[in-house]
Amino acid sequence: MRFRSEGFAFLLPVVAFVALFALLPVAILFANALAQVGGASGFVAVVSASRNLRSLDNSLEQGALSAALAVGLGYPAGVFVGRYSFRGRSLLRSLLLVPFLLPSLVVVLGVLDLFGPSGVVSSALPATAWFGSGIPAIIAANLFFNVPIVLLLTATGCEGASVELEETVATLGGPPSRAYREVWARPTWVGAAAGGLLTFLFSALSFAPPLLLCGASARCYTLEAQVYALDQTFLDPNAAAVLALAMVLLLLLPTAVYLALVSRLRANPGRRSASPRPIDWRAPACWALALETTLVLLAEGALLAAVLYRTVAPTGHYGAGAAWAALFSSSTTDHLGVSALGALGNTLFFAVVAALLALLLSVASGYAVVRRPDRAVALGLLLFVPLLLSPVVLAFALSSFWRPFVGTGTNVWTLVIVSQAILALPFALQSLEIPLAGLSAAARDTARTLGATSFGAFLDADLPRVRDGLVTVGLFAFAFGLGEFTATNFLVPPQLTTLPVALYALSEVRLFPVADAAAGLLLLLSLAVFAVITVGGRRVEL
Amino acid sequence: MSSSRSLLEVRNLSAAWDGVPVFQDVSFDIGEGEFLVLLGPNGCGKTTLLRCLAGLERPTEGSILLDGRDVTRLPPHERGIALMFQDPALFPHRSVYENIAYAPLLKRRPTAEVKEEVGRLVTLLHLSGFEDRRPDQLSGGELQRVALARTLAARPRLVLLDEPFASIDVELKAELRSEFRQVLRASGTSAIHVTHDREEGLFLGDRVGLLFDGGLHALGRPSDVFGSPGTARAARFLGYNVLAGPAGLVGVLPTDLQLLPSAADGLGATVLIAGPVGRENQVVLRTDDGQRLEMRTTGSVPLPGAHVRLGWERSVRLAPD
Repeated sequence: MRFRSEGFAFLLPVVAFVALFALLPVAILFANALAQVGGASGFVAVVSASRNLRSLDNSLEQGALSAALAVGLGYPAGVFVGRYSFRGRSLLRSLLLVPFLLPSLVVVLGVLDLFGPSGVVSSALPATAWFGSGIPAIIAANLFFNVPIVLLLTATGCEGASVELEETVATLGGPPSRAYREVWARPTWVGAAAGGLLTFLFSALSFAPPLLLCGASARCYTLEAQVYALDQTFLDPNAAAVLALAMVLLLLLPTAVYLALVSRLRANPGRRSASPRPIDWRAPACWALALETTLVLLAEGALLAAVLYRTVAPTGHYGAGAAWAALFSSSTTDHLGVSALGALGNTLFFAVVAALLALLLSVASGYAVVRRPDRAVALGLLLFVPLLLSPVVLAFALSSFWRPFVGTGTNVWTLVIVSQAILALPFALQSLEIPLAGLSAAARDTARTLGATSFGAFLDADLPRVRDGLVTVGLFAFAFGLGEFTATNFLVPPQLTTLPVALYALSEVRLFPVADAAAGLLLLLSLAVFAVITVGGRRVEL
Repeated sequence: MSSSRSLLEVRNLSAAWDGVPVFQDVSFDIGEGEFLVLLGPNGCGKTTLLRCLAGLERPTEGSILLDGRDVTRLPPHERGIALMFQDPALFPHRSVYENIAYAPLLKRRPTAEVKEEVGRLVTLLHLSGFEDRRPDQLSGGELQRVALARTLAARPRLVLLDEPFASIDVELKAELRSEFRQVLRASGTSAIHVTHDREEGLFLGDRVGLLFDGGLHALGRPSDVFGSPGTARAARFLGYNVLAGPAGLVGVLPTDLQLLPSAADGLGATVLIAGPVGRENQVVLRTDDGQRLEMRTTGSVPLPGAHVRLGWERSVRLAPD
C-alpha cells in the first residue's frame, strides 16, 4: 500500500554504483581469467602451484594467529570499557581505537621503530628483536591494527546486554557468574567472535606487513600479496585473477559468518538503552580488566610514540629533524616522481572526494533502508560485497575493466576515488546505522503534511537528527582514505602518488628515516581526524 | 457542528498492507468546523485511515474529496491536511517559535505576518515565555501544545489528530483535550480525531464513528451511537455487557446491572473480584454459562466466590456480530 517508488530514488544510484564499480568488473575479471586458463582444471593448476599454496598457508596462518591473539587481548579490554562506567571511560574508549584509524603502513613502520634492527625497544632489550621481522613482526602489526576492532565489537556486545535482565537474575538469587552466563556472556562473545573474524579477514589479506616485514623474499606473502606479485612482478594477470577468485571463495564463509554475527550483535535488545554499570573497584576482576586494558593502551601508545620519536630523533647519518628536510628535498621528489607536498595534496584530494562519495552512498542506501525496511537484507548483502573484495582484487578488477576508458594517465584519479569509496562503504554504513535508526517517521510525515516536499522533509526533519552521524561517517571515510595504500598503490601512476604509496616506496629502498617522516605526517593527520571525531562524543561503529 | 456543505468526502476507501486488508469500503463526510471522532481498538486501521487522508499512504480503492476536489493522488504537501501524531514530532534543533513558524515560513508568508500569527497561537495555547526554548526543555503537555500551534499555523483545511493524548498523564489529559477542542472550535478548523479511549471520543466529538473489523460500523452524534450501538461488537467496545436472552442479544451497561435477592429469578453469576473505585464498587462476575460481566454499583457487594442473581431495568437490543 505504501508508495512503491518510496526510497527507490535513493536506492538506484547506490545499486548502480556497486554494480558498475565492483560486481561487474570483478565478475568479468574472473570470467575472462577462467576462460584463459582453461576453466576448472586451469583453476586447480594455478591454485596448486607451490608458491600460491604457500601464500594460502601464510594467509590462513597469519589470519588465524592474529585473530586468536586479537580476541585474547581485545576481549578483556572490550569488557572493561563496554561494561563499566568510570571517570574518563569515553576518552579511554576513544584512545584504544586510535590504531584502527591509522594507515596500515604507519603501523608497520611503528613495529619496525619499536622492534626493528635499530628499534627503540629492541635496542634496549635485544630479546624483543624477535618481534622485529618475519611472522612475529607481521602478527604484531596485525594486532596493533586489529585489537581495537575486537575491543570495539566486544564493547558493543556488552552495551547490548540488558541491565534489567541482569538485575532480574540477581533478584532471583543468581550470583554474578550466573548473570554473566545468562545475560552478558553471549553478546560479548558474539562481539568478540565478529571481531576475531574481521581480524582474520584483514590479516589473511594483509598486504603491507608481509611486504615490508619479511625481508625481500616472498616467503611470508599472503594471498593478497601474491595476487599483486603475480600481476605486477610476474606479469601473469590471468593467474593473478584466478588466485583472486580462489581468495574470494575462501573468504566467502568467514565474511558471511561475520555479517551474521554483526547483525545479531545489533539486534540485541538493550543496545540503544543500555547504560554501563558503575565499576566496583573492590572486585579483583575489575582490577585485572583495568590492568590488561592499561597494557593494551600502553602498547598502542608506545607504537605511536616510536613513530613520532623517529621523525625527530637523529638516525644513522640523519641528524635531528633532518629526515623532514629529506622528505621535502628534490632527491626524494626525483625518487617518488612527485614532491612530498604533491603526495600530500594527492592524498588529501583523494581522501576528501572519496569520503564525500562514501558519505553520499551510505546516506542514500541507509535512507532507502529506513524508508523500505523490507529491502534491508538484499541491500545489506549488496553493500557488503566490498567487504569480500580485498583492496588488491578491487583495484585489479577496476583497472582491468575501466582502464580502456580512463587510460593510464591522470584520469586514473577517478578509479582511486571509486576504490577508496567502495572499501570504506561497509564501515561507513555501519557507523550510520544507529543515527539512522533514530530518525523519526512522525517528524518527517508531520513536515510533509505541513507543506514540506519530500526533499524538504528530509532536510528539515531527518538531516538535523543524523548530522553528527554524518560528520562521523565522513571523517571516518576520510581517515580510511588517508591511509589507504593497497588499492591506491595498484592503481596510481607516479604523478598521482599518495603519501602512503610514497611511504612504501621509501621503505622499499630502505630510506626508513625519510619514510618515518612521511609516516609521522600521516600519523599527525590521522590523529587530527581522530580528535575531531572524538570531540562531541562521536563514535565509530564496526 | 456540521454544516450542510461537506468539507471532506471519503468514498468507499480501502487500504491493505501487503495484500492484507486494513479497512474496506469506508465512507463518511465531514463538514466545515466539525469535530469528528473515530473510535476503535488498537490495530483497527485508525492510523492508516488518517495516513491515507493525509496522503502518506495510498489507498487501494476509493476516493478522497476535499472542498469537492479529488485529492486522492495528491502528495501530502499539496493537500492542506495536517496530521498530528501521538509523538509531538517537534524539530529538536528548532526553538518553540521556529517550530510554530515552520509552515508559514515554508509558504513564504511575510515575516511580520508570521510573527503576529505565532504570537497569537502562543497566547492561545498558553505558551508565552516558551518561545526561545528547545523541545527538550518542555514537558509532555507543552510539547503537544506546541505541536498543535505548529499545526494551526499551517492554516490547514482539516486537522487529523492521531491519539495525541495517549502518552499524556491522566490529570493533564483532561485539561489538554478540552483545550484542544476549544482552540480548534475557536479557529473554526475541522478535525478528525482517532482514539481507542471511548470516554475521550464520546466527550470530544460532534459526531462519533466506530471503526473495527475493517469497517466503519456506526456514525452519528455521540449520544445516538452510545444509546444504540447496533451490534454486539460495537456494544462491547462501548463498554456494554452483552447478554444472550430469550429475545436475542441485549446490551446492559455495568451501571444498569443490579443484584437481586437470592431467591429471585435472575441471571446466575459468581463474583470473581470486587472492590471500590472511588465512590462506586466495581464487580467482575462470571455467569453460570461462562460469560464475563462487569458491574458498577454504589451499594454493597458480596465477597469473591459468592453466587448471586443479577437483573437489569434498561437494556438495548443488539444484532449479532
